[in-house]
This record gives sequence, C-alpha cells and structure tokens, in this order.
Amino acid sequence: MSPSTRVPEQGVTSTVPLQDVSSTVRRDQARRLLPWVLGLVTVLAALALQSQLYSGQERTVATIFMFVALAEAWNLIGGFAGYASFGQVVFFGVGGYFTAVAISHWHFSFWVSLLLSGVVAALFATLIGIPLLRLKGHYFAVATLGVAEGMREIVTNLPDLTGGGAGITVPTVGNNATTAYLGNDGFYLLFLALAALSVLVAGLVARNKFGYALRAINQDEDAAAAMGINTTRAKVLAFALSGFITGLVGASYAFQQVTIFPERLFDVDITVLMIIMVVIGGSGTVLGPLLGAVALQFLSEFLRQNFTDLHTFILGGIIVVAVILLPQGLVNYVHEARRTKEYSLLANVRRYRL
Amino acid sequence: MSAVPVLETRGLGRHFGGLQAVADVSVSVPEGQVLGVIGPNGAGKSTFINLVTGHIKPTEGQVLIDGKDLTGARPWAIAHARVARTFQIVKPFRGMSVRENVAIGILYGPQGTNVMSRALKAADEVLEEVGIADMGDRPPGELSVADARRLEFAKALALRPRLLLLDEVMAGLRHTEIEPSLELIRKLKARGVTIIVVEHVMKAILAVSDQVLVLHQGKILTSGDPREVLSDPRVIEAYLGHRYAKRREGDS
Amino acid sequence: MTAFLQATTYGLLQGGLLALVAVGFSLVWGVMNVVNLANGAFVILGAYIGWGMHQTFGLDPFLGMFVAAAVLFVIGYVMQRFLINLVVNGPIFITLLLTFGLDLLIVQGMNIAFSADYRGIKTSYASESLAIGSVRVPVGRLLAFALAIAITLILVAVVNRTRTGMSILATGMDRGAARLMGIRARHVYALTFGIAAALAGMAGVMIGTVGTFNPSAAAAFTLMSFVVAVLGGLGNMYGALVGGLVIGLVQAWGGQYLPGTWVNALAFLVLIVVLIARPTGLVGRAFYAARLEV
Repeated sequence: MSPSTRVPEQGVTSTVPLQDVSSTVRRDQARRLLPWVLGLVTVLAALALQSQLYSGQERTVATIFMFVALAEAWNLIGGFAGYASFGQVVFFGVGGYFTAVAISHWHFSFWVSLLLSGVVAALFATLIGIPLLRLKGHYFAVATLGVAEGMREIVTNLPDLTGGGAGITVPTVGNNATTAYLGNDGFYLLFLALAALSVLVAGLVARNKFGYALRAINQDEDAAAAMGINTTRAKVLAFALSGFITGLVGASYAFQQVTIFPERLFDVDITVLMIIMVVIGGSGTVLGPLLGAVALQFLSEFLRQNFTDLHTFILGGIIVVAVILLPQGLVNYVHEARRTKEYSLLANVRRYRL
Repeated sequence: MSAVPVLETRGLGRHFGGLQAVADVSVSVPEGQVLGVIGPNGAGKSTFINLVTGHIKPTEGQVLIDGKDLTGARPWAIAHARVARTFQIVKPFRGMSVRENVAIGILYGPQGTNVMSRALKAADEVLEEVGIADMGDRPPGELSVADARRLEFAKALALRPRLLLLDEVMAGLRHTEIEPSLELIRKLKARGVTIIVVEHVMKAILAVSDQVLVLHQGKILTSGDPREVLSDPRVIEAYLGHRYAKRREGDS
Repeated sequence: MTAFLQATTYGLLQGGLLALVAVGFSLVWGVMNVVNLANGAFVILGAYIGWGMHQTFGLDPFLGMFVAAAVLFVIGYVMQRFLINLVVNGPIFITLLLTFGLDLLIVQGMNIAFSADYRGIKTSYASESLAIGSVRVPVGRLLAFALAIAITLILVAVVNRTRTGMSILATGMDRGAARLMGIRARHVYALTFGIAAALAGMAGVMIGTVGTFNPSAAAAFTLMSFVVAVLGGLGNMYGALVGGLVIGLVQAWGGQYLPGTWVNALAFLVLIVVLIARPTGLVGRAFYAARLEV
C-alpha cells in the first residue's frame, strides 16, 4: 500500500504516490551527477594506467592528454560560440614562449611561469578578441590565422629575446635550471591535469547560464543580444578562457620539449588538428572533443608507426572521409540518430549537401 | 500613467553610403498606446525598429526610452531598459528546447536570474501565456509556423517589456491564425504594455492600433487616427492602392 | 634609386602572378562562400604538370600551361561536384576542414610522386633580360606577368558577359532564385571551382618558369591567396588584380628595406587591419549586398 499525498482541497487527492515522486527526483539527481562520476573514474583510470606503460607509451598518452586539453579549449570558442578560431595555436605559442623566456631570461620557476603564461595568453586573447570578434564566419577565421602567422614572424624576428629562428632552450639542468625537469612521469601527470581541467571547464560552461548564452550567440547573435545577452562580453570571455587553457598547455609543452622553435609552437597544423578533433567528435558537446582527440591521436600514432611514409597522406584521406560522413561529429550524430531513429550514414551525408 | 512617453525619437535617421534608409523620423509614443506602422517594402520600417533596439546605430537623431537617451545603445542595454522585439525572419535557438529558448530571456533579461530552475519555471509561465505550454520540451524545429511565431512572442515577453516592437508577426499566417495573435496583443495592451506593430495586414492594423504611422522612402508620410490615415489619398497613392480604397469604401 | 625601381619592377611582375593565383580563390569564396585551402596545392600541381610536359615532351611551358589548366579544371570540377558540394550547407569550418584534408592529400601525393626535390622549368629565353633604363627585366617574368594579367581580364570578360559567367554570378547572388530560374547550382558551383583550379594551375606553370618549387611551397601560396583575396574584396576579380600587385610590391619593398622576414609580419598586419576596417576590401563596393541561401 503506497501512501499518497493529500492536497488539502475539498475531497481532492493527488493521484501521484509519494514514492514515485521521490524516485523521479532521485533519478534526475543521478543523471546530473553521472558525468562528474564518470569523469572522476576516467581520471583515476588514467592514473592507474601510468604504471602499466613504457616511457615511450607514456609520452604518447601524454600527447593524447595534451590534445584533449587543446580540443576542449577550442570547443569553447569554436564549438559553443561558433566562432571558428583558425589561429588558436597563437595562444599555444605565446604561452610556450613566455614560459621559455621567463625561465631562461628572468629565472622564474616553471610553476610561476606556467600560471603567468596562462594569464598572458588570456590577456592577449582579450586584446585581439575585442576587435576580431566583431567579424563573422570566414573573416574571423582568416583574421585569427593572420594573427597566428604574424605572431610567428614577430617571434622569429626578435632573436635577442626569443632566440629567433634558431630556437630557445629552457635550462633544465645545472645552475641555471630553476625547476627540476619533470620527466616522463611528471609530464604525464601534468598533461593529465590540464586535460581534466579543460574538460571540467567545458562541462561547467555547458551546464551553466554562460553556456546557454554562447549557444544562443552561435544560433542567432542578433536575437541573443535582443534578449539581453552582452554578446561582446560573452564572446571575449569565451575566447579568453580558451586562450588561458591553451596557454597553459603551450607552456607545459615548451618545458617538456626543452628546445622550442617558432615554426613548431605556432604551427597552423596544430590548430587544424584541434579543429578536426572537435569536429569529428562533435562540436558544441563536452564529450565530443575528448573522444575526437583520443581517436585522432591514436590513429595518428598508429599510422606514424606502421605507415611512416604515407601517414600524412592517409590522415588527409581520413579527414576527408570523416568530414563527409559525419560533419556534425560522432556525439551529435548519435544524439540525433537516437531521437529520429535515422541511423543511416548515407542519409547523414544529405544533411549539408547542396 | 506617466507623462513621459515610453518611446520618443527625435529626427532619427540612418544612411548607408548614399542611401538614406530612414530620415528625420520623430515620434512620441505615450505609455499604453498601440502604434501601427505601415508602408511599402523598403520604406524603412524594419530599419526603424533596428534603430530603436540598437541593432543598427543611427547616424542622425536620438532615441529616448522612458525619457532616457539611449541613442546608439547596444541591443542588450535596450533589452535591460524593458524593450523587447520580435524578428521578421524567425530563427529560434536550435539545439535547445522551446522552454530553454524562452529561459534565455529570463536569465539575461532585466530580471536577471542565475538559477536555471527558476528561469525554466518562469519560461513555462510565459509559454502558457502565448499558448504553447505543451511544446516546452520540443526542439523548435518541430513547431508549425504559427507556433514558431508564438515562440517569438514568448521570447520577447520573457523580458517583461514595457515597450514591445512587433516586426510583421502576422506575415504568412492564415486568417484563422491572425485572431489569436490579435487577442494576445489586446491582452498585453490591457496590461499596460506599449506596443509598436509593423504590419502589412491592414485588418490587423485596424483591429488593434490607436494611432497609425505611415513610412514612405524612409520618411514619415503621415500619422494619426487609423481610419483617417487609411483613407488619406497620399497613403492610398503610395501604398494601399486604389482597389483597396474602393473595397474599404464599399465596406463602410 | 635603381634598387628601388628594380624592387618595384620585380614587385609588380610577381604581383601579377599572385593575382592570377588568387583570383580563382577569391571568386570561389565570393560566389560559393567556400574557402579553398587547397589553392596552393593546385598551383604547385600545375607547376608539376608544366614541368612534366616540358621534361617528357619538350613542351614549352607557355603551351604546357593549357594542359595544366585542362587537367586542373577536371580535378577541380570533380572535387567540387562530388565532395565539396556535400558539405556546402554546413557550418564554415566543415568546408575549411574538407579542403584542408584535400590539400593534405594533394601535397602529400605530390611528395610521394615527385619527392621533395626542388624543380624548375628552364627555358632558353626565360633567363634573358631586357634592360629598361637601369632596370633589368627578365623576359620570362615579363611574359608571365603579361599572360597573368591577360588571363585575369579574360576571366572578368567571361564572367560578366557570357551566359555561363552570368549564371555563376546569379548563383552567387541568390542561389535559391537562380535555381528557381533553372540554373543548376551543383553544376555551376563545380564549374566555378574548376575554373579557379585551372587558373591556379596556369599560374603554377608560370611560377615554375621564374623560380623553383616543391610541394612544401603550396602553403605559402594558399596564405598569399587569402591576403590578396581579402585585400581585393571577395569575389571581386579586379580587386584580386589590384590586391596581387599591392602584395607583390609590399613583398618586394619589404624584402629590400626591412631586415629579416618582417615583411611577412607586415603582410599579416595589413590583412588584419583590412578585415577589421574595411572587410569588403580596398577596391570597390561590397560584391554582394545580401545573400539568401536556399
């Protein structure tokens, strides 16, 4: 016999048993906690994994973590807000070079440099974001690309500060070293932490009022503004946030590589990889960039080891196929397929076709 | 009822290069009035709305809302001044439910709340008002044209506006669908909301307007009592056409 | 003074070539809103075709460029018709990614087929130079410049006056309306892309005659296409001409008077400033006022 709630009106009783109401509430709570629990489990699994890997494998997995962090960060501005930054690597490079210069020239410790690199990258993002985020679509993409390429040239042409084309080396041993080199184990943990941070930030933004604002801006910026959203502030904030995380990653990369060069730290291919990972995984979702980064890095490593000569060629082919079959990415495809019961990939190809 | 007009424009104008889209438009809309705005395509009606709501910056003149000079203010500042609008081309926020679409206005509008659940509940109330309460969970792509228009209304009402600008909300609606929209406008007017209705559907203009403003080539042609304006020979010449005038003569 | 005139001459000559590289890219972007990241790859592919024709058949590159044009037209047409058309209605970065993937395929394909060795198409007359006053003008460069300008002007005439050209313009202005009038948009898009590829290929052959090239040079040409197209206004063919000349001059003067590679940084700064201040480009009005996509 289940107790039922009694509504204090004449002879009217609610027909919903009390038990059912509380189980619905509990189900909702469980559903909301699930992603956090899963995330925690994943991090713990990654920690456990470390002891099972050789140092070479450790570096590979650390690189996967690095790209997870980069992809999730790009997703904030490119996926949620819909402003496809094609120059995202500039924050990577700015962060990396700031750390390298701070440790070599100013003798900061790595950890201080790391934090400052993130801040500097975020400030830079704010600076360029204010004028550039007024541009739409392709124009924004091209302008950010211009900034990245321009920054690379500037760094190359300031050899006294940055070592120019010859690169700069972070002192990791001896008297000049301010922080002990982290080694494979240390960098594994560092990149794991950055990946976790990036996913965490993406998850918080997605569920939050801010995430709604970004998605509204993505869909119809005029309507979003008409509903009271300060679109300039929201966009710049998203850009700065993505810049901050990307800067942290760049700083860590610089320390890991010890010697860095402008062509590498400002390489447009890094931006493109970020974008492909987000697109393949599912732009605008939290899980998408994560899956995309893991999948693509695995693939890239596999190809690099087994088809060394052809691996870039095959990668290009895979990009073409993936973009055509799954333009909205895996996670979005699964969501929609479940909703509309339409699973055919061929039908999916018709989505965006002329 | 305050004496300060809810909306006042003084010599409002906007030119694009050589083209003067809106020129020297001065209106004064007292609180609670419904102002109909008519005119041929290209007369500057939508531009006028955009100038008031901050989506386009005026090159001449001023916009005063409740006596405050908000000329050139950005759209979100206008929204916070309790001014809401609908868009001619309806583009709801996809990737979110109908309820969430409306909730955005409650989260970011003049009330501004940070609590999602409260915003979603308030959104349901607004959906109830416009008559699509049962569509809350659906994606906006599944709505019919008439319901999509109601969602537009709901998004504007989420701001609890004092001034509401409706940009051709009747466009594309069947005759049976127009009456519920008119009902909604009347209900809002009864609540004291000041409304500016840009329309091509004369039946709607006559049904709800207290005053009518006629725009032609960016300038005000005439304004005044709806029936007088619609019988004005200049308006007939520029916009309504003689066949319409004859039809109305036959009706009256 | 001589150095300045020499640099200016060189800049203009190079600028003409850059204009031809970019004009197709600009047209495709303006008409179809597709940014072709493989444009540089088309240029280099054209260069290899011209080189191959010269090596195997002794075909003069200025004739070989028509072969390159034909081959690249087919490649471009097929690519647009059966690949890019599939994603044209999606968000921008989808098309960008697709063309990037295609660029990878083509560039790597060339690396595999031709190796990374630098090649050049040497003709007997190209290295001779005319002397105009104190300035040396290499014959090859002058010929390439003249042809590039001529081809661009022919393109403008074709697009503005022929029926085919008008269908391209119409589709660019209002795809829905164009389709309602019986214009087959899928075909028109493919045609436009094919033409753009052919032009890039021709430019490539000419570039092969005035210098050396290898697959890794493709990226620089794609980047230059961006800068020239934006500068000249998207879809604006005269603009691409002007933009090309401007960039050619900037590069030549910069190389002459600025240390290191500051000139590149300058070029990007110009790009960004133009995008912010006058996104419709330096030349003329906006190409298309409103776009209704159906």
